[in-house]
Amino acid sequence: MPEWLSILLRSAGLFILTLLLVRLIGKRQTSRLTFFDLVTGIAIGVIAAAISLNLVVILANGLIALVVWTGFPALIYLLSIKYKAVRDIVQGKETVLINHGKVLEDKLLEARFTPEDLLSQLRKKNVFNFADVEFAVLEPTGEVSALLKKDKQPLTAKTAGLNAGQESVPQTVMLDGIIMDEPLTAMGLNRRWLHTELEIVGVAPENVFIAQVDSVGQLYLDLFDDAIQVPKPKAKELAFATLKKCQADCELYALGTKQPEAKEMYGKSSGILSEVIEELEPLLKR
Amino acid sequence: MTISAQVKQTLASLKGVQATLETFASAGENPEAKEMLSRNSQKIAIIIKDLEKRLGVLEFEEPQYKGF
Repeated sequence: MPEWLSILLRSAGLFILTLLLVRLIGKRQTSRLTFFDLVTGIAIGVIAAAISLNLVVILANGLIALVVWTGFPALIYLLSIKYKAVRDIVQGKETVLINHGKVLEDKLLEARFTPEDLLSQLRKKNVFNFADVEFAVLEPTGEVSALLKKDKQPLTAKTAGLNAGQESVPQTVMLDGIIMDEPLTAMGLNRRWLHTELEIVGVAPENVFIAQVDSVGQLYLDLFDDAIQVPKPKAKELAFATLKKCQADCELYALGTKQPEAKEMYGKSSGILSEVIEELEPLLKR
Repeated sequence: MTISAQVKQTLASLKGVQATLETFASAGENPEAKEMLSRNSQKIAIIIKDLEKRLGVLEFEEPQYKGF
């Protein structure tokens, strides 16, 4: 057998073998590389390359090394799922770099982190001022996670003291002009409803690229023909504005009437309406 | 516009809003949101009833503007 043929056969065989063996290790490796993952990955690659280039004289020896380097990590990963001690050794522990807003210099040294490294990692998290950080930790993967001080955290509905309405996932009911029956029925709707809605906005079904239905049954469309402007569903905003107008009307009537019982009735109605408005605002406006 | 005509308009708007809320309630999946919507639509129904009663009185006072 000429040498080029043996290299070809070895390479092809090893390619498939490594592919299968690496599958054994599992998926975690690619998403979160720890130092250990890196070492095993390089070892496997080097061994495979050495065997395929005929640098290892006896094929069986090379294969044994390859199996060991894939089998052991697979075994250790399995063990590390079960035991925390194994996990700490193999994947490493996270290191606290900033605690209570103070940089821990000895921990930095332990993690072989220069101050520049820390700052650059924080900048990657969009933190340019280290004083904004309450707590930062070096993950086993080498990434820094930072918890900002309470007053520097992004505004959420809760911190702003707002009530946010509950909303479930919008369902995609049309893709590429094709009606998807399953999401439609999941929303308790059918094709006839969809055709009616499309007719209301004046759009042919075959012109629809994407159609989604939100949690209250409003239809959002994107068309193939981008020159056509589709009216955005306004039912929520409209309902809210109408409610407010009705409440103002009731107050106006209460002021206008001279009959005490009518005055009281209008006042009560306006009170109930303002309650309704307050309760519905998160759902209709946000 | 007479006051009865204005009240009629308000009444119509309220009925429209109530219908919208009912539609939202029937389309939604979230039970909490559904419950809230139907509860508020019932509250509006009370107001509609009151306004209709008041409209009856107004029409009795100004019979020349009777009818929708």
